Amino acid sequence: MRKRLSILSWPKPRGGPHHAICHYCDSLHVAEPIAEGTRVNCVCCGATLYQNRPASLARVTAFSMTSLLLMIVVHSAPFITMDAGGMRTTLTLPSAAKDLITEGAAIVGWGVAIFTIVTPLVMAGGLVYVCGPLMFGRIAPGAKFVTKWMSRTEPWNMVEVFLLGVLVSLLKLGSVAELHFGVGFWAFGCLMFSMAGAVAAIDKRELWDRLEVAEGR
Amino acid sequence: MGSVGGGRGEMKETGMVPRGVDEGMAACHVCEKVSPVSEGRCKRCGSHLHLRKRDSISRTIAFLIAGALMYVPANLLPILSTRELGIVTDSTIIEGFLQFWRSGSYPIAIVIFTASLLIPILKIGALLWLCGAAKGWVPCTAKLLGRVYWVTELLGRWSMVDIFVVAILVTMVQLGNYMRVTPGPGALAFAIVVLLTMFAASSFDPKLLWDRLAHEALKKREETGSE
Repeated sequence: MRKRLSILSWPKPRGGPHHAICHYCDSLHVAEPIAEGTRVNCVCCGATLYQNRPASLARVTAFSMTSLLLMIVVHSAPFITMDAGGMRTTLTLPSAAKDLITEGAAIVGWGVAIFTIVTPLVMAGGLVYVCGPLMFGRIAPGAKFVTKWMSRTEPWNMVEVFLLGVLVSLLKLGSVAELHFGVGFWAFGCLMFSMAGAVAAIDKRELWDRLEVAEGR
Repeated sequence: MGSVGGGRGEMKETGMVPRGVDEGMAACHVCEKVSPVSEGRCKRCGSHLHLRKRDSISRTIAFLIAGALMYVPANLLPILSTRELGIVTDSTIIEGFLQFWRSGSYPIAIVIFTASLLIPILKIGALLWLCGAAKGWVPCTAKLLGRVYWVTELLGRWSMVDIFVVAILVTMVQLGNYMRVTPGPGALAFAIVVLLTMFAASSFDPKLLWDRLAHEALKKREETGSE
C-alpha cells in the first residue's frame, strides 16, 4: 500500500524551507506543497511558479508510451503517396531525410531527421524511462542524466511545425499530382497531440522533487 | 508563499518582495531548485548555478546580428530549384509567396509570409527592443516586455515551416526527367537564421528587465529622498 501512495501525491523533499524564484522577475518565494489541480503564481508579476497537475505521473507515462507506439507506425507505414505522370512515389520520414542527405542538402536532411525523428524519440523514450519507475517510487539508473537531457531537447521538438509544413506542401503539390494520405500521416497527427499531452502532463519541479525523494530512499 | 488557486491575489510592487539576486539565491535552470549561488553547483542535478545568464545581452545581440546578416542571403538566394522538362526555375521565399498569392491560395500564402518573412523580422526586432530596455536605452515597461519575450520564444520555431516544405517537396517530386525539385542554398541560409534567432531568444535573461525596473525605482527613491 505504501508503494502505491507515491503515485498519488507530489512528495515533499527533505530539507529546510524550499524556495521558488520567479523566472521573469527574480522574486523569492517560499515553496510549499499545494493541492492537486492548483497552481502558484508570483506575487510580483503574476507568472506561474509551479502547478500540481492531476494524475501527472500516470498521464505522462501513458502519453509517452502512446507516442512511442505511434512513432513506430509513423516511421514504418507510408506517409503520403503521390501519383503523377504514371509514377508513384511513397514518402516516409526516414526515407525523406535519407534522400535529402544524399541529394546534397545534408544539413537540411539531418535537420529533418533530428527535429522530427530523434527529438520526439528522446522525449517520449526518456519520459517513459524516468516516469515509469517513479510511479512505484523508484528511480531508474541514470534517470537524472536523462531528465537533464530531455529538458535540453524539449525546445527542439518540432513535430507540429513539420505537420504544418506537410499541409503546405500538399497544397502546393495538390495541383500537380494526385495525393493519398497514408496511415503514417494520420498517426503523425495523433503523435503531435500525444507528445503535447505528455510534455504538459507534469510540472518540471514536481518531476525533480519526485526524483530527489526516490533517490533518497 | 505565492498566491494559490490561480488568481493573482494581492500584487506587490517591485522592491517589496525579496529578490533572488539580493539574497544571493539562484534557481537552477535545469531543476528549478533554489540554492545559494556560493554553492556553485546545484545539489540536485549538478548544473552550474548562476544568478543571471552569462553575458546575456552580448550573446543575444551577437546572435541577432548574425541572424540578421544571414537573412539577406536567405531571401536573395533561391530556396527551391525546379527542373521541368529541362527548364530550371529557381524560386526564393518571396517568389514562393507570390506564386501562392497569384494562384489564389491566399491562406497558404499568408502562412508562408507569416512564418518566413514576418516572424523572423519581428523576432529580431522584439529581441533588440528587449535588449535595449534591459540596458536602459529604451523605457522599460516590464509587464508588456515580459509578454513580448514569451510570445517571441513561442513563435520562433514556426519559421522552420519553410524548411520542412522544401524537404518534403524535394523528396516527393522525384519524377525522373519530367520534373525534379532540389533544395537551393537559400534553404540552408534560412535554416541558419531560424537557429540563430532561437539561440538569441534562449540567451536573453528576462530577469534583466526587472533588474532595470528595480534600478530605476531605486534611482527615483534616491532623487525624491535627496529633495
